[in-house]
Amino acid sequence: MAANPGVPVFFDHVQKSFGSVRVLEEFDLTVAPGEFLVLLGASGSGKTTALRILSGLETASSGRVRIGERDVTDVLPKYRDISMVFQSYALYPHKTVAENIGFPLKVRKVPKAEQDVAIHDAAAQVQLETLLDRYPRQLSGGQRQRVALARAIIRRPSVFLMDEPLSNLDAKLRGHMRAELKHMQQSFGITTIYVTHDQIEAMTLAHRVAILEKGVLQQLDTPANIYNDPANLFVAQFIGSPPMNIVKGALENGTFRMQGETLATRVTGSAADAVLGVRPEDCAITVPANAALKGEIYTTELIGDHTLVTVKSNGSFLTVKAAKDFVAKPGDAAGVAAATDHLYVFDATSGNRIR
Amino acid sequence: MSQASYKFDKTGRTLMERLFEPPTPGKMSLAGNLVAYALLLFWAAFVLFPIYWVIITSFKDAKIVNEGPYFIPFYDFQPTLDGWRAQFLTDPYCDPYAVGRQLVLYVYNSLAFLVSPVVKIDPMQPAICKVLLAYENSLVVSIFSTVLCMIIGSMAAYALARVSYAPRFSNIVIFVLLALAAILTSTYLGVHWALSAAVGLALFFLLAFSIGRFFKARLGNNDILFWMISQRILPPIVVVIPIYMMFQSVGLVDTHLALILVYAVANLPIVVWLMYDFFRGLPIELEESAQLDGATRFGIFWDIVLPLTRPGLAATTLLTLILNWNEYLFAVFLTTAKAVTMPIMIQAKNTGERGTLWWEMSAIIVIMIIPVIIMAIFLQRFIAKGVLLGAVKG
Repeated sequence: MAANPGVPVFFDHVQKSFGSVRVLEEFDLTVAPGEFLVLLGASGSGKTTALRILSGLETASSGRVRIGERDVTDVLPKYRDISMVFQSYALYPHKTVAENIGFPLKVRKVPKAEQDVAIHDAAAQVQLETLLDRYPRQLSGGQRQRVALARAIIRRPSVFLMDEPLSNLDAKLRGHMRAELKHMQQSFGITTIYVTHDQIEAMTLAHRVAILEKGVLQQLDTPANIYNDPANLFVAQFIGSPPMNIVKGALENGTFRMQGETLATRVTGSAADAVLGVRPEDCAITVPANAALKGEIYTTELIGDHTLVTVKSNGSFLTVKAAKDFVAKPGDAAGVAAATDHLYVFDATSGNRIR
Repeated sequence: MSQASYKFDKTGRTLMERLFEPPTPGKMSLAGNLVAYALLLFWAAFVLFPIYWVIITSFKDAKIVNEGPYFIPFYDFQPTLDGWRAQFLTDPYCDPYAVGRQLVLYVYNSLAFLVSPVVKIDPMQPAICKVLLAYENSLVVSIFSTVLCMIIGSMAAYALARVSYAPRFSNIVIFVLLALAAILTSTYLGVHWALSAAVGLALFFLLAFSIGRFFKARLGNNDILFWMISQRILPPIVVVIPIYMMFQSVGLVDTHLALILVYAVANLPIVVWLMYDFFRGLPIELEESAQLDGATRFGIFWDIVLPLTRPGLAATTLLTLILNWNEYLFAVFLTTAKAVTMPIMIQAKNTGERGTLWWEMSAIIVIMIIPVIIMAIFLQRFIAKGVLLGAVKG
């Protein structure tokens, strides 16, 4: 199959309110042709609303939406040349797998013979050829997911929309389908917008990730940059598992002060209310004398390839990713050390990163 | 205090526990089972006895009925065919060929009607077998009004379930007032009805877009739905005389059409109300997905929504059919001879001079029950569960 050049998608100052509730504010986003873009956010962040506005199932309160050259803001969903995979798959229970996959062609009145060829082709893409005569209720979760995918790819749309397509699958199948989705998107080259609350999906699938919170776009960047260079405190805490450790304090000319201790950082400037962030894997357990952050061991959890150590320090908890052979008793005195390069500083009031 | 005092564990069961406690959580206790089945048996007898009573009464005659209650044919009383004979044999037209003759009449008269613009053919005069005519009337009226009501009602219900309407309250008031004014002027001032209607409509648009915009109050789907259901709150007897006069003025009294229309309108609220719930119960993703796939709204309704609400459609159809089949009040006002339905026939056996002819009445009731049972058996296959399985669950 020839690679599709893909079309760009533009959100231009899109706003959406339900009554007095603003769910999407001044949303500007440009999706490159053939890009796999993931909209990541907690529930209620507006990510699904953005997707539904692009699909046309929801209309924007203001702003424009464009697909390629076309302004589709006032275009009905069926004329937008978009296909969507729903979280619930939305298979038609009274139709067989073949009828489900062929539905987009049937409503376009494609000749029957041509439909059959396309159905078999699409089914082959997702390894469903042997199940064409089954009904959705006779399929497993993963198979239903494939039917929904086949129905989406059969008509080669300009844009794929996926609304948490993997969240109904069990963990093992999810990993497998994730890899398949990524492969399929690469081979088709169709612009894809994928909504999820799962950061692993976002990090592994996306060319770029857009993080949304309370209807506001927080950061739009590659997964690596999102992780290594978070724009604000929300992004820093949202991405990463276990989440980034947070210590409250104050910043004075690049030195972070907390509870009588000081820590040198790589930033300059001052802030009366500042937050210091450091990722668990960038920390190390040391003797208390060698570290600015002191406390006692609270728990240790062996994960397999590493041990998660929780240290109680001044009433807050710090998580450290230690070696798998790390041993300590709860109550042991411990210090948490981190290299200056790995410290992030944020303004506590605005949440913005101090660089 | 010892921990043991809280324990509630034991092995084995005493006799009382065997009687009154279930063996496993998913079952009923022995005593519960006995009581439940006893109640069910009693209720079954309670429900089935009237049917049995009607059937045996249809094989009695005046003497047996008057001598007082006999329950077992051939033992208590000698069955006769008087009741059945009175229906079919005393009426000279009720011979074995009555059904065929009626069909021939239908075909002949339909053809005569079709060619009437070209060739004038006198319609064949019906040779009426009264019971058969009423039976046929009941069937025609019930089936056609049910179909009409289901088509209009399910479409209205779907629209209310999936499209949001927000008419301004002020515009509704303006429309009603202007309609009233148009009717009054054409009735009392002699203005031609088309003229008053046109002026009323023009005024409506003028006012709606000028004054109407200052009133903010809007009605929603729930108000429309409630208004529809409220049509059913009014007892039909209140409107039956105006309806009779209306049909008289358009010359439709004693026709199938009158009954079909009235029954369809009377049952519309029930159909809308029931189907609204079924449509609301469908996962909306199915319809959204079909929209994105390019289906039209009617296509979605026909190809996705209706097949998935088949149990609801079947149940509502059955209910409407039975309501129409049993309807008496409108039929008694709107029919005189040609369009008489079965309930009227039954009532007619309550004669003034000969008293109530229970055996003849029972014979008609027996014939009347049969199609309902057939419909129920036919439709209950569709009222099966699990249709939505595999739609949206993972």
